[in-house]
Amino acid sequence: MTFDTVYILPSYFDLQLTEFQTAHCLFISELRILLEAQRESKERNAENRPQTNVLQKTMNYVQSFSRFTNMESVREVRSLLKESELSHFEIAQLANLCCDDAEEAKALIPRNTNKLVMEHSLHNKIDDDRLQELMNQMLTIKKFQG
Amino acid sequence: MLQSNKDLSHTISLHPSYFGPNMQTQLNDKLYADVEGTCSGRFGYIITVVRVHTIGKGKILPGSGLAEFKVKYQAIVFKPFKGEVVDAVVTTVNKVGFNIILMMGFFADVGPLQVFVSSHLIPSDMKFDPNGNPPCYQSEDQIIQKDIHVRLKIVGTRIDATEIFAIGTIKEDYLGVITPN
Repeated sequence: MTFDTVYILPSYFDLQLTEFQTAHCLFISELRILLEAQRESKERNAENRPQTNVLQKTMNYVQSFSRFTNMESVREVRSLLKESELSHFEIAQLANLCCDDAEEAKALIPRNTNKLVMEHSLHNKIDDDRLQELMNQMLTIKKFQG
Repeated sequence: MLQSNKDLSHTISLHPSYFGPNMQTQLNDKLYADVEGTCSGRFGYIITVVRVHTIGKGKILPGSGLAEFKVKYQAIVFKPFKGEVVDAVVTTVNKVGFNIILMMGFFADVGPLQVFVSSHLIPSDMKFDPNGNPPCYQSEDQIIQKDIHVRLKIVGTRIDATEIFAIGTIKEDYLGVITPN
């Protein structure tokens, strides 16, 4: 594939996750369950918490892009990926994008050039077979969810 | 899309007329109203407050009589990163004016985030069809028009006080139109 040099920015592949290194990344599917539960509890308790535009848009987004539709399948995927040696961010990306093969996942999930996290990045710490196996299991869960 | 449960803090100023038995509820409501839906360079969009951890002791401000409370809370935030791959819904496809310069491309939404993909970052085999209804980008096997789902990579972001704006590309392997499942 070709690139126009103009469009390659200096730190194109750098992910500056400093603020989020320790944060917990949610899956889109998890967020949907969370937001729906919150909405129900709001209705039940008749809280008058205004629905912001940002929340509404996020709600629509997670409803159209959540790959795992019920609580059990989400939980299974989370526990499957938790045992791998991947970071929070990579785990969330894997579950959100739901790629078919390891090569695709490696192309889509950014290579981290930050020295500190380098050795922990997807490209170094996990081999293709292991990644493929994780993804196959994830796709199986997706296929057989209720 | 990166959503994190982050621990944040916020300082609330409360008017004296709210001092009283319902102050706790007032403080919570004020917190929701103040922070939900806002955005900052550090955390991105604050989508919703999940839990209020602690509300500090109030401190009366000299002169105004307002009381200040430091609140620690946990929230779900969304911050897009350069290099991150996300799925998006196309909202408009057309020529758009940017500071008089005409740029071609399409806009897509990732939840609250708006992403612009310029025609330079669309594969060259996709051609713009201005006569289409609605206008679209088309190649032999793909079509990009309103409400189509696309997978794109974020190549840059600009953060304002109230919103984040991003530039994306679909001119790479495995990016482009995706079929909803």
